Amino acid sequence: MSTATPTAPTTVPSPRPTEPSQSRAARARRWLLAPKTLIIAAVAAIIGYLALVPLYYLVWGTFFDETGFSFGGFSRAYSANGIGDLISNSLLFAVGSAFLALVMGTGLAYLNVRTDVPFKPLFFAASMIPLIIPGILYTVAWIFLASPDIGLLNKALEPILGPGFFDVFTIWGMIWVEGGHLSPIVFLLMVAAFRSMDPSLEESALMSGASRITTFRKVTVPLIRPAIVAAILIMVVRSLESFEVPALLGLQNGIYVFTSRIYFVLRSYPQDLASAGALALGLLLVAVIGVFLSNRAGKNSKNYQTVTGKGFRPRPIELGRWRPVAGALIVLYFLLTVIAPLLVLLYTSMLKFYRAPSAEAFKSMTLDNYRELTNLSQAGTALKNSLVLGLGTATVVMLFMSIAAWIVVRSKSRLRMVIDQLSFVPLVIPGLVLGLALSFVYLRSPIPIYGTLFILLIAYVTRYMPYGMRYAVTSMQQISGELEESAQVSGASWWQTFRRVILPLLAPGLVAGFIYILVVSFRELSSSILLYSPGKEVLSILIFEQFENGQFTVLAALGVVMVLTLVVLVTVAYKLGAKVGLKSD
Amino acid sequence: MRSLVATRAAAAVTAALLLAACGGSPTSSDKGSSDSNASANTDATDTYDRINAMSGQERTDELVKCAEEEGALSIYTSNTDIDDVVSGFEDNYDIDTSVYRGNSESVLQRVLQEQKAKFFGNDVIETNALELNVSQSEGYLAEYKSELRDAVRKEGQAEGWTATRFNTFVVGWNTDLVKPGEEPKSLEELADPKWAGKVSMEVGDVDWFTALYQYFVDEKGMSEDEALGVFKKIAANSKITKGHTVQGELLSAGEFAVTVSSYSHTIDKAAADGAPVAWRPASGTPVQPVVVRPNGIGLMKSATNPCAAMLFVDWELTGGQDVFAEKFRVGATEAAAKAIADLEVVPVPEKELLDNGQKWDDLYAEVTDSASN
Repeated sequence: MSTATPTAPTTVPSPRPTEPSQSRAARARRWLLAPKTLIIAAVAAIIGYLALVPLYYLVWGTFFDETGFSFGGFSRAYSANGIGDLISNSLLFAVGSAFLALVMGTGLAYLNVRTDVPFKPLFFAASMIPLIIPGILYTVAWIFLASPDIGLLNKALEPILGPGFFDVFTIWGMIWVEGGHLSPIVFLLMVAAFRSMDPSLEESALMSGASRITTFRKVTVPLIRPAIVAAILIMVVRSLESFEVPALLGLQNGIYVFTSRIYFVLRSYPQDLASAGALALGLLLVAVIGVFLSNRAGKNSKNYQTVTGKGFRPRPIELGRWRPVAGALIVLYFLLTVIAPLLVLLYTSMLKFYRAPSAEAFKSMTLDNYRELTNLSQAGTALKNSLVLGLGTATVVMLFMSIAAWIVVRSKSRLRMVIDQLSFVPLVIPGLVLGLALSFVYLRSPIPIYGTLFILLIAYVTRYMPYGMRYAVTSMQQISGELEESAQVSGASWWQTFRRVILPLLAPGLVAGFIYILVVSFRELSSSILLYSPGKEVLSILIFEQFENGQFTVLAALGVVMVLTLVVLVTVAYKLGAKVGLKSD
Repeated sequence: MRSLVATRAAAAVTAALLLAACGGSPTSSDKGSSDSNASANTDATDTYDRINAMSGQERTDELVKCAEEEGALSIYTSNTDIDDVVSGFEDNYDIDTSVYRGNSESVLQRVLQEQKAKFFGNDVIETNALELNVSQSEGYLAEYKSELRDAVRKEGQAEGWTATRFNTFVVGWNTDLVKPGEEPKSLEELADPKWAGKVSMEVGDVDWFTALYQYFVDEKGMSEDEALGVFKKIAANSKITKGHTVQGELLSAGEFAVTVSSYSHTIDKAAADGAPVAWRPASGTPVQPVVVRPNGIGLMKSATNPCAAMLFVDWELTGGQDVFAEKFRVGATEAAAKAIADLEVVPVPEKELLDNGQKWDDLYAEVTDSASN
């Protein structure tokens, strides 16, 4: 069917070539076989392949049924009862959560990177915890904290605020929980951006008499605009797709969002892939526009290039008399978003069933739920497989995406926009559809990938490619082209330049992306559940089993173990990450 | 020039890879698969027929011998209590057993995908009635006969598969919030405004809803509007939740006082741990009818280990029943289903749900949409 091959160049050498055209052909051949061309072509091809297989499956399933081409999926998906409410709820929820996460994540990152707040490594790991706690547990912990009927915060503050002051089952409650859960994504992006920022720019502003707030507003924020845009983009799409919060908090008062619908059309049999696809394609439209805008925002790239030939050392700002204020804010933040839900989980994990704290409840505490975990069959295998997959996925994605980011930000290739868009496509593809697409392809592939851990790796790399790309592109936009030029002038090859100059400078972004992917891949369920095979279990499958038919208290224990494991991993990654790239004092 | 060549080369690579990857139309279903399956492994069908024709000790002896010669078994299941069943099986027989567990939807999708690609990964499928019926209508399942099957409650002797346990939907309550004597006596009672804000419905329980709706219309002589009205009034008193595990935990915690469609085993297990929940009142009878949905097991026509597959079905109907009882589940045989023996039982109308699924999904969505705001 296909006649095009990668080695068919545009100029076909004539049988009797003339002198100049021969040398041109030779040049073309040399160029085609150069490592740079090969690497770039390979990365572009891999991204294209990973993104287009599930997209093709999704589009086909959306427009074709037994009778042929049809728009039935769209009319079913978008004519659903109360579509107006659905859209306004979804938008309010997504924009609200994105905004909250942006404010929290950016503030924390600024304090962590640019100031002399105490306990930085601990602070860093703690900022990750909302991301590490599985969504279902984080959400239920919030029900136990802020339900108007049984919420512990409401009970504690009842004498002051009256009964049922906090209500987690409202759109504002949903935004609070989702925003808190998403804030680590922003935090990581911003940590990378702030690390690559020359503080002398802010210092000049301060010296010229600008207040700290003016400096932040007029100097700092404009410099990290690409990171802000990337963060908003990821979070809006993420919260449009978020499932646990709308399902557990929204449904109680009938607040429906898009994902509740996608979930239901994929749940009943025969699965309405067409409707789910139509909804996903709606999201894709949002994402394509978002990527386009984010590229435009990063276009005046010189404006954001803070890593230039001029050396700098990111020196933390001394907070002076503001230090206690910052300290208090951080403590308050951690109390609210990290400590409170984590304590609820820890407390629940030692009970037989959840009940409000009382002398009797504390007396009944045991470690039975943890003991039960060790009895779960496959617990060891699952932990090992999840570790292998998490580390593997994070490494592969960040490596490929750093090259892809170079193509998008630096090269003049006309394909760069396409690569950027393609790398973002998997973000909108429902996990189940990805699972179906991959099993369809690899059940028919001559290479025996089906039934191995490798098919999960492909699924994970596909799912997390969009995040890796945003992290890498954002960092790449901060690096000035003059550094590469100097390397090349000094005789370095492209690959040498990439490896010795670009990769180390990208390190803050790559480490941040690595940590993010490592953490979230531990939780991936929707494609894993279809693609894993006996002996290749992953942790999320165990969590799902406990959720489906088990005990919430055991689930809480599993959550606590996951948090501990990942906090250790994140801290190690953070320490290692601090050793490469830009050093701070 | 350079960038043009680069663009074209990369485009060509992408195009070639893509064409290689997506040879056909992925979602168009492969009709006639049932014929090819039947011929794919006539050995298995022959074996099933041979064993099905035997009975008593002769059948058992022959089955064990043949199964241990096969020495392996692959199970695809959505049964979360399968671990203990399998370890009992492996203790009794010399058969290596591998288990794939997912939710019922992914078990079905996996089987559909594999069968259409002629990849025969499993010997038995053990999951919910709906998914088993789909497998049966696709022609994947083979007949299983035995005295053990004859002992299964009649709701569980389905065409192509056999129930191993029943999910039983009951009305449960928090005993701290609902005092003895004040327990609901009927589902209709929960439509009364005095229960406002105290009830919980689960958003995915379409099968429970369909069973009771049809019961109200067919047995209680309500009009369709009246039946729908009852559910809507209950929904107006309700908080909607998602997932039976979370719902059960929130019932124990007192987030609501009554659940209309909890699984009996969720409540029994929590009660055994000391949680203040129940579905049988201290005196009197539970809210009836209770809705039962069989979960069961079917033999794959494409099995590579047909004897081991049959032996495992035997095991689930014997040793497996004890395991389910330990997990507070309602077993499939008359003896193991004592918990519901004295109750009025309505089975989930599986055929209706398979044929008109969309209608019931929409109707139940209409009900849950009328929940309190």
